[in-house]
Amino acid sequence: MGRYVIRRVLWMLLVLFVISLITFVMEHSVPGGPFDQEKKLPAEIIANLEKKYHLDEPYWKQYMRFLYDVLVPQITQGESVSMLDEAMINIKLGGDYYLRWVNFGPSFTSRSRTVNDIIREQLPVSIQLGIISMAIAITIGLPMGIVAALKQNTIWDYLGMSVAIFGVSVPVVAMGPVLVWIFGVTLKWLPPTGWGAKPPYLLFFIPRNLFSWDFWKYAMMPAFAVGTGYSAIIARLSRASLLQVVHEDYIRTARAKGLAERVVTVRHALRNALIPVVTILGPMFAAVLTGLFVVEQVFGIPGLGKYFITSIGNRDYPVIMGTILLYAIFLVIANVVVDVTYAWLDPRIRYE
Amino acid sequence: MLSKKWSVLVAVLVIVSTLLAACGTPEPAVVEVEVTREVEVEGETRIETEIVIVTATPEPAVATRPNIMYLTFGPGDVPTLDPSLSTDTSSVQVVDELTIGLTKLNEVTLELEPGMAENWSASDDGLTYVFNLVQGVPWVRWNGSEVEEVLDDEGNVRYVTAQDFEYGLKRTCNPETASDYAYVLGFALAGCNELLEAEGFVDLDDEAKQAVIDGVAAKALDDYTLEVTFTTPAIYNLNIVGMWTGRAQPWWLIADRGDRWTEPGFNQSYGPYALKEWIHDSTLTLIKNPFWPGLDSAPVAQIDEIVFSMLDASPAFAEYEAGNLDSVGVPLADLDRVKADPVLSEELTIAPHGCTYYYGFNTSKAPVDNVHMRRALSHAIDRQDLVDNVTKGGQEPAQWFCRPGMAACPTMESHPDAGIKSDPDAAKAELQAYMDEMGYASIDEIPEIILMHNTSEGHQRIAEAISEMWKETLGIQVSVTNQEWKVYLKTIQEDSPHVWRLGWCLDYPDANNWTREVFAIGGHEESATQWRNEEFTAICEEAALEEDLATRQNMYAEAETILCYEDAAIAPIYWYTMVNVTKPYVNRTYSQHGHEAYEKWSLDLTMD
Repeated sequence: MGRYVIRRVLWMLLVLFVISLITFVMEHSVPGGPFDQEKKLPAEIIANLEKKYHLDEPYWKQYMRFLYDVLVPQITQGESVSMLDEAMINIKLGGDYYLRWVNFGPSFTSRSRTVNDIIREQLPVSIQLGIISMAIAITIGLPMGIVAALKQNTIWDYLGMSVAIFGVSVPVVAMGPVLVWIFGVTLKWLPPTGWGAKPPYLLFFIPRNLFSWDFWKYAMMPAFAVGTGYSAIIARLSRASLLQVVHEDYIRTARAKGLAERVVTVRHALRNALIPVVTILGPMFAAVLTGLFVVEQVFGIPGLGKYFITSIGNRDYPVIMGTILLYAIFLVIANVVVDVTYAWLDPRIRYE
Repeated sequence: MLSKKWSVLVAVLVIVSTLLAACGTPEPAVVEVEVTREVEVEGETRIETEIVIVTATPEPAVATRPNIMYLTFGPGDVPTLDPSLSTDTSSVQVVDELTIGLTKLNEVTLELEPGMAENWSASDDGLTYVFNLVQGVPWVRWNGSEVEEVLDDEGNVRYVTAQDFEYGLKRTCNPETASDYAYVLGFALAGCNELLEAEGFVDLDDEAKQAVIDGVAAKALDDYTLEVTFTTPAIYNLNIVGMWTGRAQPWWLIADRGDRWTEPGFNQSYGPYALKEWIHDSTLTLIKNPFWPGLDSAPVAQIDEIVFSMLDASPAFAEYEAGNLDSVGVPLADLDRVKADPVLSEELTIAPHGCTYYYGFNTSKAPVDNVHMRRALSHAIDRQDLVDNVTKGGQEPAQWFCRPGMAACPTMESHPDAGIKSDPDAAKAELQAYMDEMGYASIDEIPEIILMHNTSEGHQRIAEAISEMWKETLGIQVSVTNQEWKVYLKTIQEDSPHVWRLGWCLDYPDANNWTREVFAIGGHEESATQWRNEEFTAICEEAALEEDLATRQNMYAEAETILCYEDAAIAPIYWYTMVNVTKPYVNRTYSQHGHEAYEKWSLDLTMD
């Protein structure tokens, strides 16, 4: 197990290195630079900007500089960070000294912030929204799929699957504004836009007002809009999987030895049927996080998804690199976690 | 008789006041009041007392809302609050509330007013100005619970001084600051461009750096007197020095915090508002600065707090309809509905806005290398039809580039025939002239024209409408393509297509910022148009130094006619408008230059 994890972590680092290299090559080969704008800047201004951000250096040097800032911990003096900096990668050592590590550099667009600031402030919101959305997706999707499978070809099955198809087909960009119109503008039950939690957060992402309506009134609509789409996927998958499992020999065996139907369903059928569902949860969470761009735009939520997309349009190289690597880490970790859970759910699978 | 008149007057007043009260609040608590009235009968001294019952509004209405205004910026975080680094509308808007320049532009009349400089005097050659500063304006900061004055190391209040302005100007020109907008100061302020272009500046030691920095001709003569020298005695120098790039900056704070000095918690300012909270990418809150003494051009703020949220146009409009925002821009998709809605249409205003939308030609590429062809294309754009049916925001059809309303820009009243007009017959005649010149017998021989815009629904609609007009009026082949924004910018600078689009918004409201800075030789779009005209450039340069406004205006009208008609290097399309809805309880001004002066706004707190 330990060796397995170490091997996976090493693989992960290699994957991240390759991703960073590909990202670097791609972002610099796309035409247009971070300082091209509608009002064309004079050459000397561009030169000063490029000098400040080291964009005048050869590409290999820029990449080495990036690697150095990310990999090598540095102790710096002064240069204290924003109000929210006592966390993670800028550690105050006492006095005027800071340990800085995994430093993705400055943002070209938000001139007073670094990529680390952006991640620190925006990622928690995305994680909050992502977790709530996933919870909604599972609570709606799983029972719906199970009921549909157990009552196959009944009205429950058809009803559940119609809802699922509806959920998959209506994108957030359509459902969001409709929800806003109904609950925000017409009924005025919920605020149309915004987010209820402010930094600082507990444990980097838990809102301090988690148990307050002030948090949930903002979270409900966007989480529902995202969650329904994914619940449909979960419902269809769990239905298909359960249907397959109930026809397996071991279920027949379980019934034959006289187990109660409830025990057969819960202990034997469900447990096995959930394996493929669990498998997709990890990557799905990563997909939810990376796919929050639209919902953040529609509901005015200060999450990281927006930066993931707009940084590319802005050619904000450090932000592009930071967000892509961050999401890559999520994806890779999600896959490792799934593999481990998988083995736990199905004893036939071994770490090899 | 007299008494009757008085009675009638009293009655009318009572009715009017009741009606007014009814207008203000939907359900006025009308009460009946007993009033003792003395009636003087004509010619006699007898005084008769009678008791009448009148209806009247109750005691002064009570505030129904907190004195907080909710507004929105576009989507995405405000990029920066650093005066030297601000380039976009929202950054400049906040900087304009946090700081006031030496001079200030009246946002409604676009006239120059004294700002932090009470008055100034110019040297005989018009190059050197001495500014006398307003005294006793403290630097302030939000300490987490209230706005407090900033103290220096000895515990004295720090007041805004000439040294702070000197530092601000020099910091903008410093290559290490890497200010985008420094080039505007660069051509106006003596020594600034030399500093911006200083070779190997970063490698110098501190002393050598300071020597180069001190070449910038801004000098504090004492705490409240600033001497500034300009490169030319141009009329717009006072405008430029008042821009956000020339604001006083807290050198003690910047030395300590570097580029992060603008972050909430650190930020120090002195204008009508101070920064209270900035939740990045979500909301930014300004709070009234109680220490701001108030100037004629920037009075003491009346609204306690302004909360800006950062929302896309459609969600922002939903928030407005839900009653959570007090003023927003109207998305094009909602405009027809707003105009038809009895309530929203009352709240709608369409005001001029200091931007121009135009198409440029690559004057070196056939077939638009021929002036007749370019004129034909420009004449053939039915601008009125376009703004009525495509853009719909009440935009004004443009005959030339410089937005009327800017100092010395021609206006439609003063120069109705300047520039170019939409005229299908003239378009056809020009096309014929082109074909004759080229020896083409048929329209099919004309090479296809490529019209390119950056990817956006709005630009696409306009491009499709215009290409349709060209096909209909001229019968030529047009292909419309688009590119992602940054790719597009690269394309039009390096190898621009036949026809491309861009917009221009003012930095300072003078024709120089438009006609000359963009299209004269060495201007912003020289490589995109491939157009150089010595005569045009000479007129612009002379106009910059001309003092008589009417003469200047005529000179720019002449230059614009060269640009848009004689050489037809661009086809101006429309002048922007701001399409806004504002709640009736907001008493506001409408800025012509894109940045509002919120210190002049107020809220009627008794209205729902």
